[in-house]
Amino acid sequence: MIQFKNVTKEYSPNLFKEAKVALQNVSFEIKKGEFVTFCGRSGAGKTTVLKLISCEEKPTSGTVLFDDMDTKDVKKSEAYLIRQKIGFIFQDYKLLSYKTVFENVAYALEAFDFNEKLLRDEVMQVLELVGLESRANCLPKELSGGEKQRVSIARALIHRPEIILADEPTGNLDPYHTRDIVKILLKINEAGATVILSTHDREIVNALEKRVITLENGRIIRDEEKGVFSL
Amino acid sequence: MINYLRKIFKSGWEGFMRQGFLTFSTSLVIFIAVVLGTGLLFFQGGVSYLTQQIKDKIDISVTFKSDVPRDTILGIRDDLTKLGQVKKVDYISPEDAYNTFIEAHEGDEYMEALGLLSVNPFMPSLRIQTKEPSQYKDVSEFLKKEEYAGYISEVNDYKRGVTIERLGELTRSVQVLGISLTLFLSLIAIIITFNTLRLSIYSQKEEIEIMRLVGAKNSFIRGPFLVQGFLCGLFAAIISFMILTIVLFIFNKQLTTLFIGFDSLAFFKNNVFWVILLQMFVGAGLGLISSYFAVRKYLRD
Repeated sequence: MIQFKNVTKEYSPNLFKEAKVALQNVSFEIKKGEFVTFCGRSGAGKTTVLKLISCEEKPTSGTVLFDDMDTKDVKKSEAYLIRQKIGFIFQDYKLLSYKTVFENVAYALEAFDFNEKLLRDEVMQVLELVGLESRANCLPKELSGGEKQRVSIARALIHRPEIILADEPTGNLDPYHTRDIVKILLKINEAGATVILSTHDREIVNALEKRVITLENGRIIRDEEKGVFSL
Repeated sequence: MINYLRKIFKSGWEGFMRQGFLTFSTSLVIFIAVVLGTGLLFFQGGVSYLTQQIKDKIDISVTFKSDVPRDTILGIRDDLTKLGQVKKVDYISPEDAYNTFIEAHEGDEYMEALGLLSVNPFMPSLRIQTKEPSQYKDVSEFLKKEEYAGYISEVNDYKRGVTIERLGELTRSVQVLGISLTLFLSLIAIIITFNTLRLSIYSQKEEIEIMRLVGAKNSFIRGPFLVQGFLCGLFAAIISFMILTIVLFIFNKQLTTLFIGFDSLAFFKNNVFWVILLQMFVGAGLGLISSYFAVRKYLRD
């Protein structure tokens, strides 16, 4: 489903900064339905991997294939075609501040020109799944961190994506909410979606018992089925 | 397609209603631009009024000898009327001139002097108005023809020529200044509005990024921003129209005195359609176009 072939990503230098190599000659493959965790220290290249998958960034060299499509050939204005297959979950939630919980989740469907008659039921169903049906009319500023993250998950799930990209989804949450989020991610994976998680939380990685790819200074130093956190 | 547009309008409307501070600050700047645009329309109206006033005051007076028969003078008037440069020719008989003089000088020392005379000292004359102040020369050249010279006692353009020329130059200068000021201030209004909208959209840069990441097409992201900019402009235009109407109805007397007799309320009533059109065009147009260019930066390939 996703293939990285000798991928290097460098961020261009500017007047004040030197060129930064975020990924160096990275290769791996992720199959449909897998649950893969990328772990590593801050700056190891985890987020860059997710950005390359979602076409936010293009590799400096090498190839990133998404469903056999080279992301280098995808124009910025056509990147939505790839993103419509992805559900994003971010550490900082990235909710639209002036839209309610319902509208934030519905936005992802509206963007796909979804049948409006079915939209309300779909959204309420997903909100129920994440336990937020009673908060549907609240604005993001009225929610706790855990609730915001659940909205973010609901938005990621609403269009039944093939892949979930979760970038440090528990980074801002307490242990109680962290367990909740991990459970939801496992459920999504059991339902057939590919889950790609980026984290540096030891407990999560060890508890998952799924494939772990460890990055250090932009290189893969370990790729294990049922891996554990070891840095 | 209709459903898609409806969603874009709904989203734009929500943004307009819910982003209170952003809506207010954007509308305020567009409001200033609209007021400036409307002010310039009134300025142009005032300049035209002033120019017309000046033009109307410029005339050439041709005094005929006292023995020239009325029919001959009226014949010359007809010849003058046929000239392309001439706007209006009035015949003033000695009696009319006498009565006008009495009305203007009733009770003063000139009347005493007039009383000493046993005859009407005024001679028949023609008062000629040209279409443009500069055309007085052509008319006075026309009157210098040999066929008319025997009848004419005096053509007063020689004395007033310099004044007429200066007034003509003044009206031209006021018009040029008015147009230059209009263009300059319009440019400033456009730049300020564009930059304000650019800043307001910059503050929503992250939201645009989120929309992109959840898979929205560029048109679906751009649309609500355009609607929001349009609504801010429309809102600014409506508010400025209301304020303008109230101000003109309440302060018309003072404004008329301030603007040397230019009746702003009458101008407003006569041009209300153009005022609305201009305000809508400046407000909504600026909002729409500025939003388009401001959001384009974040949606480029």
